[in-house]
Amino acid sequence: MFQKNTGFRVFFWVSLILIGTFVFFPLLWMINTALKPTAETFSLDFFTGPKTFDNFIHILTDAKIMGYLKNSLIVSFGSSLMATVVCSLAGYSFAKFRYKGRKFVMGMFMMSQAFPQAILLLSIYGIMQKLGLLGSYWSLLISYVVFTLPVGTWTLKSYFDQIPDALIESAKIDGANHFQIMTKVVFPLAVPGMVTIAIYGFVWSWNDLLYSMTLVTDNARRTLASGLVMTFLGMGSTNWGYMMASSIIAAIPVTIIFVFLQRYFIQGLTSGAVKG
Amino acid sequence: MREKRSRGLTDAQTGILLILPGLAVFIAVILFPFIDAIRISFTDKSMLFPDWEYVALENYMEVFRDPYFGKTMLTTAVFVLGGTLLPFILGFIWAILLNQGFKGSELLRGITLVNWIIPGIAIGFLWSWIFNGQYGVLNGVLKALGGEGNTPWLGQTSTALLCVIIARTWQMLPWYMAFLLGGLQGVSVEQIEAARIDGAGNWKCFTRIVVPSMKNIIILILAMGLVGNLQHFDLPWTMAQGGPARATTTLSLEVYNTAFKNWDMGKAATIGTIWAILLACFSIVYLKQVRDSD
Repeated sequence: MFQKNTGFRVFFWVSLILIGTFVFFPLLWMINTALKPTAETFSLDFFTGPKTFDNFIHILTDAKIMGYLKNSLIVSFGSSLMATVVCSLAGYSFAKFRYKGRKFVMGMFMMSQAFPQAILLLSIYGIMQKLGLLGSYWSLLISYVVFTLPVGTWTLKSYFDQIPDALIESAKIDGANHFQIMTKVVFPLAVPGMVTIAIYGFVWSWNDLLYSMTLVTDNARRTLASGLVMTFLGMGSTNWGYMMASSIIAAIPVTIIFVFLQRYFIQGLTSGAVKG
Repeated sequence: MREKRSRGLTDAQTGILLILPGLAVFIAVILFPFIDAIRISFTDKSMLFPDWEYVALENYMEVFRDPYFGKTMLTTAVFVLGGTLLPFILGFIWAILLNQGFKGSELLRGITLVNWIIPGIAIGFLWSWIFNGQYGVLNGVLKALGGEGNTPWLGQTSTALLCVIIARTWQMLPWYMAFLLGGLQGVSVEQIEAARIDGAGNWKCFTRIVVPSMKNIIILILAMGLVGNLQHFDLPWTMAQGGPARATTTLSLEVYNTAFKNWDMGKAATIGTIWAILLACFSIVYLKQVRDSD
């Protein structure tokens, strides 16, 4: 796209080194710190000194933190599944059905990203308290669907939009009912979109701090994000080795999912959001 | 006859039935709580006392009289603007570099995105460590270069917010990069070739052709970025808990602290309502952009 003259070459190499360092160094430093023995934590050695897995072993054998990890898995899988179902139904409805109020509901869903989460929490906290759900997985499962609703519905709508109406019509003529058309004809064609939304929902729930910190007051039900904050913040002396090791452990599931399903994720996310 | 019976519901009825689960969640977790929060903003509700009553605009008066409120707004504005523009600019440059398609650029793109996908608390912990006043690597490097190397970057009011913005930049750069790479791939090569024949240099090609043809996507991601930053909670909280001396207290932290630390629901709802009005302004731009690009 650009002419590779001297000016561009200078710009290219300077930016590559500066931004490259900024982008890649911190994570390497995190791994580097996590692998150091406690006595070496404060040294500036960059992967040169002695290495140990002690920090990881300490975190992985901590029953409390492993409990948080389990809770995170339950909540993230659950809300991801719920979000995918809800968004698929809604996206299909928006794409292939015409009814009164459709445009209005579409607009509202789109707006839902823009409602300030912290203010919603005030009332959600009260509602969950009244329903007796405060501190249960359900309070998080239900709340997390909202993160995915706008992007999820839109992404899946754009998938369903691409399915020709003729295909649905011919299924109808063959005598299929609405449910059969949906499960046998339409949904299988949108699987890539659904995978994208499932990942998106999982990552959001896994990474959320605000809701899990507020809605789950019971230590046994905390998810990893709020659990680690409670564990490490406000401690008199901080063990950075433990903190870096636990951060890596918290980052691994979402990173693995991402590495394997990167293609789906980037395509789905950008195409869904850009096409609207 | 048979066909009619097997279909059961009409198309419109089916469409509405499909939307019901989404609508139910939307009403339960967004619409009702939102309206309820606006109602609470007119009350003196507190989690510490069971009784409450309507106090009209008293909370609003209190918020506007609060000398800290202006400071919170300013902190929010600096965080939102810095945390949007910085990753946007760096993400744009990074996208341009990776778009050159050199060996390994695909891999670099993939690794870059890891920064964005990992939990905010991990990012907060990491940057707290880098900026640590005694043993952080930043101070370590500065010391090795002959500096004092004992600056409490997160512990002093002059630099704390900047540190949070830098961490936010690191987190969001990949997100901008992903969208801008997509945009760059849509720029017409013919147009650039034509301009080059007319004697346009790289900079001119960039400002006259590349940026204008990516206008929609640029406005879209900037609007999304601003809304996202107005909502953002994790980094200022994990890195500094809003301190020191409120230097990193943005609106979302202020609402959280007022509600769940001081248990003053009325005042928290009031700040939240003012905040919602701000968000609505940005969202209108965003929605309009989405509609235009449809």
